[in-house]
Amino acid sequence: MTTKAAIAVLVIDDEVQILRLLRHALEADGYEVHEANTGKHALGEVACLQPQVILLDLGLPDLDGIEVLRRLREWSQVPVLILTVRNSENDVIAALNAGADDYLTKPFRARELLARLRAILRRTRTASDTPVVRFGEIEVDLAGHLVRKSGVDLHLSAKEYAVLRILVLNQGRVVTHRQILREVWGPNAELNTHYLRAYMAHLRNKLEVNARAPAYLKTESGIGYRLLED
Amino acid sequence: MPAELIADGVAQSRAMNSPAQPPRPPQSPVLPEAGSTPAAVSTTETSPSRIMVAVGPSRHAEQLVRWTSRQAQLANATWAAVHVESTRPLGADDQRSVDRNLALARELGAKIIVTQDDDIAAALVRITQKGSFTQIIVGRGHHRHGSGWWRQASLANRLLELPHAAEVRVLPVDWPTVVSPRPLLEIPARSSRGEYVLVISVIAVLTILGLQLPQSYYVQVGLVYLLAINLLSLRVGRGPILTAGVVIALTWDYFFAQPYFKFGMDNLPDMVLFGTYFAAALIAGHSAARLRAQARNERRREERATALFNFTRALAEAKTLAEAAQGAVAQIDAMLGAQSAIAFADECGLGAEPVFYGTFLLDERERNSAARAFHQRRVNGRFTETDVDSAGYFAPLLHEDHGFGILGVKLPATATLSLGQRDLLDAFAQHLALVVERAQLRAAGEREKLLAESEKLHRALLESVSHELRTPLAVIAATSEELVEAKLPGNTELAAEIHEAALRLNRLVANLLDQTRLESGALRPHVDWCDPQDLINAAVESTCDALAGRPLDIIIPEDMPFVRADFALTEQVLTNLLLNAALHTPTGAEVTVAAGIEPGGRRAFFSVGDRGPGIPAALRGELFKRFTRGAAAPPGGLGLGLSIVQGFIAAQGGEVILSENPGGGALVTLFLPHTAPENPPPE
Repeated sequence: MTTKAAIAVLVIDDEVQILRLLRHALEADGYEVHEANTGKHALGEVACLQPQVILLDLGLPDLDGIEVLRRLREWSQVPVLILTVRNSENDVIAALNAGADDYLTKPFRARELLARLRAILRRTRTASDTPVVRFGEIEVDLAGHLVRKSGVDLHLSAKEYAVLRILVLNQGRVVTHRQILREVWGPNAELNTHYLRAYMAHLRNKLEVNARAPAYLKTESGIGYRLLED
Repeated sequence: MPAELIADGVAQSRAMNSPAQPPRPPQSPVLPEAGSTPAAVSTTETSPSRIMVAVGPSRHAEQLVRWTSRQAQLANATWAAVHVESTRPLGADDQRSVDRNLALARELGAKIIVTQDDDIAAALVRITQKGSFTQIIVGRGHHRHGSGWWRQASLANRLLELPHAAEVRVLPVDWPTVVSPRPLLEIPARSSRGEYVLVISVIAVLTILGLQLPQSYYVQVGLVYLLAINLLSLRVGRGPILTAGVVIALTWDYFFAQPYFKFGMDNLPDMVLFGTYFAAALIAGHSAARLRAQARNERRREERATALFNFTRALAEAKTLAEAAQGAVAQIDAMLGAQSAIAFADECGLGAEPVFYGTFLLDERERNSAARAFHQRRVNGRFTETDVDSAGYFAPLLHEDHGFGILGVKLPATATLSLGQRDLLDAFAQHLALVVERAQLRAAGEREKLLAESEKLHRALLESVSHELRTPLAVIAATSEELVEAKLPGNTELAAEIHEAALRLNRLVANLLDQTRLESGALRPHVDWCDPQDLINAAVESTCDALAGRPLDIIIPEDMPFVRADFALTEQVLTNLLLNAALHTPTGAEVTVAAGIEPGGRRAFFSVGDRGPGIPAALRGELFKRFTRGAAAPPGGLGLGLSIVQGFIAAQGGEVILSENPGGGALVTLFLPHTAPENPPPE
């Protein structure tokens, strides 16, 4: 955590205590923290501060968080991590579909927050120059379309590999059902979540040590999947 | 080939114009079947075709109507049944039969047009042009009504003579048994006895006065008689005036023409005079009667228009349905001199005990009759075919085949319901149906709006409460966790306590919010395919702290298919059940989570079993109520857990069963509806 050259993060939240808490946790990890209390203020701040990542609370006093996100996405691709409360899967899905990169449910742990931020930043910084991704005993060679478990080649079907590839490219980040279904089965298959569940079951059987208690291929309740990092 | 006269508009009418054209000989008396339509027809048909059938009182008109209906159906055409009322009133039997035929046509989907004219052909042509009909269908023999005794041309021939663009088809129908031609000088029933007395008195007075004059004034007496006939024709009906003509001619001949006091005349001028009087009387009487009839029809039309106008205004002024009903009843009562009643149906129908507004009090039999009219969507009761012994005439309030209520009219025992009145009542019923529909739509709209408002309010409230409660909790949980991790000597346990309390409070808030969500009806499950293994894993992961020290057994069959459930709700349910198990069992007691498909494959189940004290059978129903806790339950918790479980599962169309775990302890089983998922397409 010491090599970070003060990454600028903009926290958009109207709760002073949460802001202080986040500032504490983020500054301890070497981030440069900026704050915004309202959606409109935040949009102005993004334009002039050019932060490298944004933490956005979905419950803002003036604008709906998703609305802020939509306006932001009209001109900026800065990664956004959503802060939300439980029981709001629909809001989360809406936010992810509107271009958010990941989400975190309150109350959250500082460790979790930092891990999510790292995952987001790594993806945007090193988009395609990591042809080989490793997790557990698995090695995915994106350039060679190869998957090895403990050094032994695994045979995956084309669709299995396509699903895995999306998760690997977004390692550490949540990927919604819709995103995967669109990309692998096409836009007409967005509702066929049972296809996806079937392929996830196959992937877990082939990749996980214990498919019944997956350590890496995690399910995000009602939202999608996440490939954890080591 | 069935006999038909297919004539195409103007060209044919030229050909038929010659009066020498002999009437077509009567052919087969049988109506052609719809299926045996000659090929020529299809070539002359234009689309979209509109067919018009002329309906009279003949019982064959029924066949005519049915045949036209089939034709219209085959040609996919719209059709209308037209009845032309003449100034000569129909007899009661004939009127009934016209009404029946028109009712049949309406039932078969025809538009009903009733007009008044003494020249049926002209009226038909007028309607043809106004309604751009492409085909006129008449039965042979239609000419007998109202075309005038002096004109013997058949209706078909007349139709062909007149210029119009429609095709005329004459169906030979055989009805000599029905047609009993009226006597030429038939005395219509409408002329009252008083009119005859008046006529005879006037003639008597004139005769007595005339006898006082010298005999050489007999021509002048005749002129006075002529004047009298003309004046009388303004006052009395056709019958009395014709009688007057005959009586005056004979009186004049007897008293004033030579030879005196004897019938018969001895010179030509007197005979000419006699004949002239007689003819003048007939013509005056006839034209006067026609004028009067036309005036009467005019009045009737005006009355009808006024009645409709008043009725519409009464409905428009009404603010509520009850007021509309009162207004309608008052109008109908005044118009028909009847008692009437209206009942409205709601979205579910008329109901077992409909409330009737109005002056017509219905007994059990009338109510049944009214209900039949409503359910069969047609008029019922007196003046109809069914339930004729009931006192009321019942018309359903229909709009686009949907029943909105019932209109009942009770006329005095001696009264009849004319076609015009029936038509008017039908129009009223349609109007009322529209009013009821409008009221229902408005009410539905308001309900919908209210519901949406309430949902919005609930959602806003939930979100704000949720935000306000969770934010400080999130701060407490996060800071206490940091303190725990900082491992400050001596304070770690205290920080851990704070952390645990914060998490517990967070769960409690979550439960309260879930319960509120359930009760406000704001819960909308998003059912999707779920992997039961995923569901159980998620619940187990979020409760691993609470379940620490208890062996956990997860039993899922190898071939377990995906199930349809709301992932978040079901995960919450399983979490609540696992927390309950942790709360009610000592450390070390085994907890079992299982999933499977019921034999038969119609329901999927999840179950959580523990080895705790179990749930007494008597308490099992009670525990689903909120804020209810078992007597043996350890302190802590609000008793919302099972109530939420029940609510979340019920919202997904499932069921929760509490039972004894074989071998001791409690077993909670959730059932969800299940259909096997289809396999993904092969690659």
